Amino acid sequence: MTIQLIRDISDTSSFWGAAWVFGCFPDLHIVCDAPIGCYNLLGVAVTDYTDALPQMANLTPTSIREEDVINGTAGALVRTIDDLRSLGSLEGRRLLVISTAESEMISADHTRLVAQIDPQARFFWSRSLEQDEWTGRDRALLFAWEEYGRPFADPAAAPKAPDLVNIIGPSLGCFNAPADLHEVRRLIEGIGGVVNLVYPYEGSVASTPRLADAAVNVVLYREFGAPLAEALGRPFLFAPFGVFGTTAFLRDLGRLIGADPARVEDFIAREKRTTLQPVWDLWRGPQSDWFATVDCAIVAGRSYVEGLTALLRDELGMKIAWTSGRPRRPDEPDNIEIRRRIHAKAPAFVFGSINEKIYLAEANARGTHYIPATFPGPVVRRTTGTPFMGYAGAANIIQELVNRFYEMVFNFLPVEQVKTPAGPGGPPQGATAGPPAPASAETMPWTKEATERLNAALEQVPYLARISASRSLRLAAEQAARARGVAEVTVDLVEAAIAHGG
Amino acid sequence: MTEIIPLTAGEASAPQEPFKPGACKLHPQTMCPAFGALRVLSRIEGAQPAMVTDTGCLYGLTFVTHFYAARKSIVAPALGTAELSGGKVQEAANAAIVEAAREQHVSVIPVISLCVAETAGLAEELLPTEVDGKPVVLVRVPAYAIHSHPEAKDIALAAVLRRFVDRQSEHEPGALVLVGEVFPADPLLIDGVLRKMGARVLATLPGRHVDELRLAGRGAAVAALHPFYRETVNVLRERGVGVVTGAPIGAAGSAAWLRAVGAALALDEEVVERVAAEEEETARGFLAARPLKGATILVSGYEGNEMLYARLLIEGGAHVPYVSTSIGQSALTAADEAWLKAHGTEAVIYRKAIEDDQAAMRHWSFDLVIGTTTLAAYAKERGIPSVYYTNILSVRPLFLAGGMIASLSFVRELLNRRSLYERMVEFFTADGA
Repeated sequence: MTIQLIRDISDTSSFWGAAWVFGCFPDLHIVCDAPIGCYNLLGVAVTDYTDALPQMANLTPTSIREEDVINGTAGALVRTIDDLRSLGSLEGRRLLVISTAESEMISADHTRLVAQIDPQARFFWSRSLEQDEWTGRDRALLFAWEEYGRPFADPAAAPKAPDLVNIIGPSLGCFNAPADLHEVRRLIEGIGGVVNLVYPYEGSVASTPRLADAAVNVVLYREFGAPLAEALGRPFLFAPFGVFGTTAFLRDLGRLIGADPARVEDFIAREKRTTLQPVWDLWRGPQSDWFATVDCAIVAGRSYVEGLTALLRDELGMKIAWTSGRPRRPDEPDNIEIRRRIHAKAPAFVFGSINEKIYLAEANARGTHYIPATFPGPVVRRTTGTPFMGYAGAANIIQELVNRFYEMVFNFLPVEQVKTPAGPGGPPQGATAGPPAPASAETMPWTKEATERLNAALEQVPYLARISASRSLRLAAEQAARARGVAEVTVDLVEAAIAHGG
Repeated sequence: MTEIIPLTAGEASAPQEPFKPGACKLHPQTMCPAFGALRVLSRIEGAQPAMVTDTGCLYGLTFVTHFYAARKSIVAPALGTAELSGGKVQEAANAAIVEAAREQHVSVIPVISLCVAETAGLAEELLPTEVDGKPVVLVRVPAYAIHSHPEAKDIALAAVLRRFVDRQSEHEPGALVLVGEVFPADPLLIDGVLRKMGARVLATLPGRHVDELRLAGRGAAVAALHPFYRETVNVLRERGVGVVTGAPIGAAGSAAWLRAVGAALALDEEVVERVAAEEEETARGFLAARPLKGATILVSGYEGNEMLYARLLIEGGAHVPYVSTSIGQSALTAADEAWLKAHGTEAVIYRKAIEDDQAAMRHWSFDLVIGTTTLAAYAKERGIPSVYYTNILSVRPLFLAGGMIASLSFVRELLNRRSLYERMVEFFTADGA
């Protein structure tokens, strides 16, 4: 067995995934069989820096101590549950105990103990040592259905109404969930669908059986949630990205809920004149010209990787340098490889996590724009105005890109500065100081090798920053040549200018 | 700025019953202990950490490390059931160390061993002490054994200090080593005053460079500004270095601390006395205005220096009946605790949980709550001005007269914001929300 190395984590363990699903239920209290660190990072710190919740109010740790590692955590668990009862925290709530990597290390399986304490309580073996966050979310969703839903629903019953739709997936720790959910709900309702249950985000233990009422399920993420939709036994669709992807989704959903096709087409037509109008205007304007000239890289959840690829490459014609989805497939670059690629040549746009942001900073890639598109990374996405999905997502993303393009133009277009004269105090002296004399107005010859080296170096610079970079590299090399008193720019002078940061 | 500080009506009628801590301690209020270690170690220039633990903990820890601006790429082995049950922990740690050593300009590779790896059993003697000439230092910080974030800082600092401290050179007369993660201007302020006494600050730990760890061995005395650097102080004590506890906090505290430093460094007593008196006079001049004018303030944090802050507030004229911290009681905390108890603090809680802090909020009526994120949220929900201890207080000088004036002026501003907080509560809780 070879040891696999991780550089800068991309997704977390199934304990986290499960807690993020179960944590959505207000009528559930979770006891995590965890040392204080596990509790604090998941229940307080990361939740606060991502979902902006000061803490997960329905999560309590057993606070595993050294003696529990030796003797087992049963005592700590019983104590914790007793304390929660005495504080009234379990009133009107079901109890769920979940394992963590540490409790699994010492094989603290509390299935029977928990059943003895309270027949309604459950134990969830999170398999944190072997499964990732996505599998954890999948299993938690299925577990919730098996334990709190299916036993209370009639498996043979038909949907309550043909237009009822569940949205499955949005949970805590999901990047940008509120905005994407808002957009997908708007689309469903736009063609006459009725949202039955948003699960687990707006669900609860008590509402879980209602999952069976819907005729259709929309799974928000490709990285998890589909197994629950399959278990529900109704047709399901994945949430859409892009102009054309969203249009196809609306027509498919319309058929599944039996909507009047005219109503669906009316909605699409209205959207073209409203939500999508900026996409059309930007496409017709000069802003879209440069889409073909820039490239981007995407590191994100699988839905975002596939959705952004469809929008940016297939619909807008942008080049995709490379992508890496989560959970990562073996043929996609891991963080070690992503870091190497960014250091070697950073694309003009990088959608990603704080890891990519760090690698760009390490590479001093000032010509690249970083756009947060996944966790990890402290970033708040709680408003509804920043979707990636749906029509509004297409408009939002294009707007973001164009604004960064404007930013780039501002920062990188070559400008002759009017510099403030050196010296203490006083306003600039204006005309009296005069512009600095150019070092030489005469064109300096370059060797063939030097020119080739310059061009090769510029290939590494994102397209938009190239004019500026070529100018500063050229000036630096020529100044060095003059300083040395040589009449021609040679390859070593170019190398020195590049090494110096041009 | 208005000078009116809206105090609670109940200031005169303090509760009669003695305070009882929370009946249950369910929700520990500390950042993950390992984060303390990672933060100290990742901030050392050239340090390339290798972490040995499971994915969940890696995710949370690298997350908060990046949030707190140590944007450093971190290496770890994948450690799942297969590796753990197959006895591959050692091999996995070694692989991560080799990858860490590939980075250029590495000054040290701290191997941070956490809960899962420690439970599986990581043998220190089987790890390399050096790879390609790059020193490797094992730092063991399982959360189940080290119960708070600040105490893990101490473990981490002591581990690297033990490896790098200069044990050969003579002690430099008048050279003081400061220990404590303090606001960057604080050591400069302290140095300025020490120079007037014929002494100086040699280094401040935890530092940004391995050289500072080396240098620390040459100090003639060490001042543990924060009361949880027990292991670190012991490493220096073994070098025969004198130890000064407490910190130059407030008027009385600053003067007493300067005198203690004077004694530890064998400085000229008359000069020390004159400088101490000067500091005290400047501070008293500011305090004469009683900037906090009897406001009742709760202090609760997990940084381990909460008692220092409470002392400062009390000297500023505040009533601080309750102080809680995540660290444990020790000899280094005794002096501050005694001082607080002598100045109106009724309860000092160690290893606190949110339940303790909430009990305090039911027992007293506070004008300002300085607390953990969870407690600050709880206070804001009740319309009480409140700030998160770590983010807000660590960005200001704290020590000597200068630090006192900066910190107390800020707290006075906070006290004036009550109406803002009440208005928010009124809005967001209307309609039974």
